[in-house]
Amino acid sequence: MKRILIVDDEHFVRDALKRVLEGESVVVEVAPDAEAALIQIGKQPFDLVILDIIMPGLDGVQLIRQLRAQYPSLRIIAISGGGNFELSGYRPDSIATRAYLAAAANSGADAVLAKPFDTAQLEALVMPFLERQGDVA
Amino acid sequence: MGKLRLPIAATLAAIVIAGHAVLLPALYFSLAGAVQRSHENSFVNGVRTFSRLLADHFELGDELNSPQLARDLLDTVILNSDGAYAELIDNGRVTRSDLVSPALRFPAREDYSFGAAGDHIYFIRLPISRPGHSAELRLGYDERPTSAAIAVALRRMLWTLIAYLGVSMTLAIALGYWLSRPVRRLQIAAHNIAGGAYSEDLRLSTRVSELHNLGETLDQMRSELLGISQRLRAEMRDRELAEMQRTVLEQRLQHRQRLETVGTLAGGIAHEFNNLLVPITLLTEFTIKKLPASHAQRPDLEVVLAAARRARDVVRQVLTFSREMGDASPQPVDLADVVREAMRLFTPLIAPTVRLRVDLDSPCALVRADRSLAVQMVMNLCTNAYQALQGLAGEVSVELREVSGSSAVSGGLSDAGRFVQLRIRDTGHGMDAATLKRIFEPFYTTRSVGEGTGLGLSVVHGIVESFGASIVVDSKEGEGSSFKVLFPITATRSGSVPGPAGVAP
Repeated sequence: MKRILIVDDEHFVRDALKRVLEGESVVVEVAPDAEAALIQIGKQPFDLVILDIIMPGLDGVQLIRQLRAQYPSLRIIAISGGGNFELSGYRPDSIATRAYLAAAANSGADAVLAKPFDTAQLEALVMPFLERQGDVA
Repeated sequence: MGKLRLPIAATLAAIVIAGHAVLLPALYFSLAGAVQRSHENSFVNGVRTFSRLLADHFELGDELNSPQLARDLLDTVILNSDGAYAELIDNGRVTRSDLVSPALRFPAREDYSFGAAGDHIYFIRLPISRPGHSAELRLGYDERPTSAAIAVALRRMLWTLIAYLGVSMTLAIALGYWLSRPVRRLQIAAHNIAGGAYSEDLRLSTRVSELHNLGETLDQMRSELLGISQRLRAEMRDRELAEMQRTVLEQRLQHRQRLETVGTLAGGIAHEFNNLLVPITLLTEFTIKKLPASHAQRPDLEVVLAAARRARDVVRQVLTFSREMGDASPQPVDLADVVREAMRLFTPLIAPTVRLRVDLDSPCALVRADRSLAVQMVMNLCTNAYQALQGLAGEVSVELREVSGSSAVSGGLSDAGRFVQLRIRDTGHGMDAATLKRIFEPFYTTRSVGEGTGLGLSVVHGIVESFGASIVVDSKEGEGSSFKVLFPITATRSGSVPGPAGVAP
């Protein structure tokens, strides 16, 4: 069984991703923010974390850094549709999705995906990680 | 009641008259008194001396002894002087000159003063002392010749004074005119200056040093005023120009701020839609996948998906407008290549009734731009021009020229320097001023629903801004529109970079 954690403050997005990715060999869990995500990952390891960048509280980039520090082999996909929240340390004046995604990639995300995306784009990114054998964080 | 005001000449004449009215009578009367006294004294002295000499003659000579001699001597008095009366009384015997008028008698009282007794005769009595004689000489002299001489002298004096007064008056009036001429000139000059006419020289010529100095001072004041007024005028011109420039800049800034505000707002909404489109897209695809291929609801869901894709494209355009171009990579680009590429995409889209004219300076100076964004910009402008024809016959022309700053923006304010100007014109319906103001706003469209998103030109604006270029629109209702995009030339073909290359982030 592969385990995926979806972290997004928007429940439509969380639920849709969960519904699409869930399968016989894939368990999907969701978390509404970074703090909840850290607690869930601490309880039980995951193979892949799909996280939003702009979230209240700890933002996605900070979450990536923490996860990278604690779980070096964890796979991380960052998704973002941009927004005009201030993102600590990353071009606070910017509302650029690509800037956020670039920040995420620089902070250690394995892949990035701009919202909105379709199933094909999502699967193209997610599948290689799920098909990988072995190490589980 | 106002004060009486007189011209200088009249004032001087009045002063002369007033002064002389007091002075001349005083002078006349004092001089007349002196003249009269002098004449009288000389008459009295002459008469007395003459009488004394006569008396001496009688005292010493033989006349007392001979009445004939005495009478002759007395006649001499009448004949050789102003004598009118001559009589000798010797021991009671009276000898009188025959020439004396019989009516004339020696007065009882002696008359020793000139003009007294009213008879015009000065009477004098002299005793003659000679042993054996008790004699007395009685003489009378005519005062009238002396009186006449006095009258003549006085009259002459009066005429002299009158002549003097006349000359004085004439001189005073002449002086007045002489003084008042430069004063009047000064007055006219001062009046002109007060009225704002101070460009003309004063040219005052006078021998009166005060007036000359006054004239010079006035002239100096005039030239200073002239300088001040010229400075003021120049300052006013400068200020008007600055005001005009400020207004233009303010309008531009306002326009830009408005676009930015709308852009930020639109950007924020677009990001929300990015999130919302994720479940719509994913779950619709998910549901379609679950349905059998023949399921009746499948086509409906395909429509939902198509709509979601369309929404995604709209959101992308909005974000392009709000300058989300994180991966835009401006580099030296030949716009002629860009236009040619855009034309390859655009030409197949247009109806045969529309003529497309492309005129490019090629090769063209390089400008900094992102190639694919530049192609999109040209496409959007051409699409806009084409749609302005509203399906009717007409012309869309695309022109690329190197221009200099001054000719680049007619009537506007532009940096000097060289530009590459992309001009896209149509012969379509044109725009009114209100439309012209708003064409770059997102979602502003004059086309009916379904024809256009209202994003094309705002995307153009965003792209142009990101290149550090500027866009100018000219349009006349019914005559068509012209969009000019001016790119600062950043590098010539040889690679040298003229001036600072302003490129927006």
